[in-house]
Amino acid sequence: MSAPASVPTALAAGCASCHECGLLCRLASHAPGAALRCPRCGAEIHGRKPRSLERTWALLLAAAICYVPANVLPVMSVTSVGRTQSDTILSGVVYFVQHGDWPLAVVIFTASVFVPVLKIVILAYLALSVQRGSRWRPAERTRLYRITEAVGRWSMVDIYVVTILVALVRLGALATIQPELGAVFFGAVVVITMLAAESFDPRLIWDRAEGT
Amino acid sequence: MSEGESPAGPAAAEPVIERGGRRLSVVWLIPIVAAVVGAVVAWRAISEHGPQIEIRFATAEGIEAGTTKVKFKQVEVGLVEEVVLAEDLSGVVVRARMVNDAERWLREGTRFWVETARVAGGQVSGLGTLLSGAYIGVDPVLEGEEAHRFVALETPPVVSAGQAGRHFTLRSYRAGALPVGTPVFFRHLEVGRVVSSVLDESGDFVEIGIFVDAPHDRRVQRDARFWNASGLDVSVTASGVQVDTESVVSLLVGGIAFDTPPRSDAPPAEADASFVLHETRQAAEDAVYGEKQYYLVRFTQSVRGLVVGSPVEFLGIPIGRVTEIRLVIDHERKTFEVPVVIEIEPGRIADRQVPGSISEWHANLDQVVAQGLRAQLRSGNLLTGQLVVALDMHERAEAAQIDWSGPLPEIPTVPAPLEELTSSAMRIAQKIERLPLDEIARDVRGALEALRGTLAQTDRTLASTQGLISPGSPVIGELQRTLVELREASRSLGLAADQLQQEPESLIFGREDGP
Repeated sequence: MSAPASVPTALAAGCASCHECGLLCRLASHAPGAALRCPRCGAEIHGRKPRSLERTWALLLAAAICYVPANVLPVMSVTSVGRTQSDTILSGVVYFVQHGDWPLAVVIFTASVFVPVLKIVILAYLALSVQRGSRWRPAERTRLYRITEAVGRWSMVDIYVVTILVALVRLGALATIQPELGAVFFGAVVVITMLAAESFDPRLIWDRAEGT
Repeated sequence: MSEGESPAGPAAAEPVIERGGRRLSVVWLIPIVAAVVGAVVAWRAISEHGPQIEIRFATAEGIEAGTTKVKFKQVEVGLVEEVVLAEDLSGVVVRARMVNDAERWLREGTRFWVETARVAGGQVSGLGTLLSGAYIGVDPVLEGEEAHRFVALETPPVVSAGQAGRHFTLRSYRAGALPVGTPVFFRHLEVGRVVSSVLDESGDFVEIGIFVDAPHDRRVQRDARFWNASGLDVSVTASGVQVDTESVVSLLVGGIAFDTPPRSDAPPAEADASFVLHETRQAAEDAVYGEKQYYLVRFTQSVRGLVVGSPVEFLGIPIGRVTEIRLVIDHERKTFEVPVVIEIEPGRIADRQVPGSISEWHANLDQVVAQGLRAQLRSGNLLTGQLVVALDMHERAEAAQIDWSGPLPEIPTVPAPLEELTSSAMRIAQKIERLPLDEIARDVRGALEALRGTLAQTDRTLASTQGLISPGSPVIGELQRTLVELREASRSLGLAADQLQQEPESLIFGREDGP
């Protein structure tokens, strides 16, 4: 799908739609630094998300930093009858592979290792391409963004599993499961990448592609 | 952006809308915080990271990478990171990450072992590992060269490095069911344990290392005697049946006992001193006399009942034992003899003087043998029929002396009491046999015949004598008459004497007839 050479945009018409309720408002000239609000729902109105790229970069950097301890540190430790075993995400994957549970290993690997990396890389690419004013395949890039946004929440599966296990397995001396620091970092990675995806404004892709 | 193209107003009048300027957005705090937290976590992880060490094990049984811990006094001091085969396949190398202050005690003397549930030396240990899995035990040492490569022990050390007490070495001909952990007793009180049991370099002895806890280690004096107190010691000796045991535990798992001679004032033995481990308590007590002299005694009679170990007694007091009994044939004389080697402990003979040298002892022995000291087989126990070699003074024995020519000095012997009796009876019989009995009989018969003739003659003589003195014989009648006459004569002589008394003048003037 290639965009038409010149399409009238709301911004070009001096308008912007409210993010919350979709009301089309006129971007009147206003005092510097003053915030515009939707007359219907009260949400802030801006033609494009403010400082979108800067925010995205900052959050991506934070996510990348957190990603390292999330994978190096154990996410949980299982203590059963005096024997304590700490597992990182990757050691869990290796465990399932060694025991022949390929489907489970693939699911965990995809959701916990592959997807966060994918999100970080895609967002970084999108931010970079927008920054450099790339006009290359804006439709595909937009689709990439949509995938990123859709898949992001599934990475939280690990955190859910850990929290549920920690709550359930409280058998005193027999068995206990403790969350470890890795889980905190992992949760941070997921949340921060979701925020990064949120802060990225896909319309920027088209601003360049439909170039002025 | 495309503000400049806004149709809402003239381009020249439209001011540039400030959007907070080029200031850094607050959002950059997020990566900064993430970086700081990450750095803190990383720093903590690195600071907790101690040295990695290599421990060599025979097998990796019970050891799992990432799970098995290294513990000292049940405190975790390390974690196994990797288990690999040794290059020469003779064992496994376990790489463990220790806590960060572990360098302090990772010295050459530090020992590692696998702690699992085990039953040894009458004790059950490590039951907790049945559930929690094995762990690697460590016995840290604070002195010595720093080290990062270790060879693990096969079994947990019986004595940890800081324990108070002393090590000693016992030498024995055989290990005698004394595994590591076997208790050591002093007067039936458990005071130590066996810590090692290895062959010495020559292979002749087993060197048993023991550890005696403080303060009992002072009881190990220089003259201490050790014996194997394993099980039940039943011995049948010339003095009867003896049963000896140290404790029920030693009955089951064996044990070593030691003691000091009574009234001993020897100083405590220094650490690592070496002692002899005797087979039995008796042997240990016997061994106190230390110095032994060997002699040969030859018997020509049956030595049935004499065994190796039979006592050698002097005046009824045991002073040694039989160590060897052989049977030798003398081809020239076609006789057999039994050389018996006896062991005598001169120390058992209390010397009023200062104990002299061996040559002095030999000179004394020479003198004593000259005075009549002889060896003799004697029944030690009528019930068991055991014999003892008795050394006694036989003043009337034939003169003899010690034969110093052989490899062992030979003490002359005298026959056993029974044998002596038999041989003298034999001598009498032989003499009787040598008597000329036939001749004697002939002489006696001649004599008897002559005697018979004499007797017949005597008979006749007696018969005629009988005739002479029989009541109606003339001799008797004659005699009777003679006697009557004699009586008459004496009466008239009496009358005459009376008359003479009354009338003495009648002797001169004659008898006056009637007054």
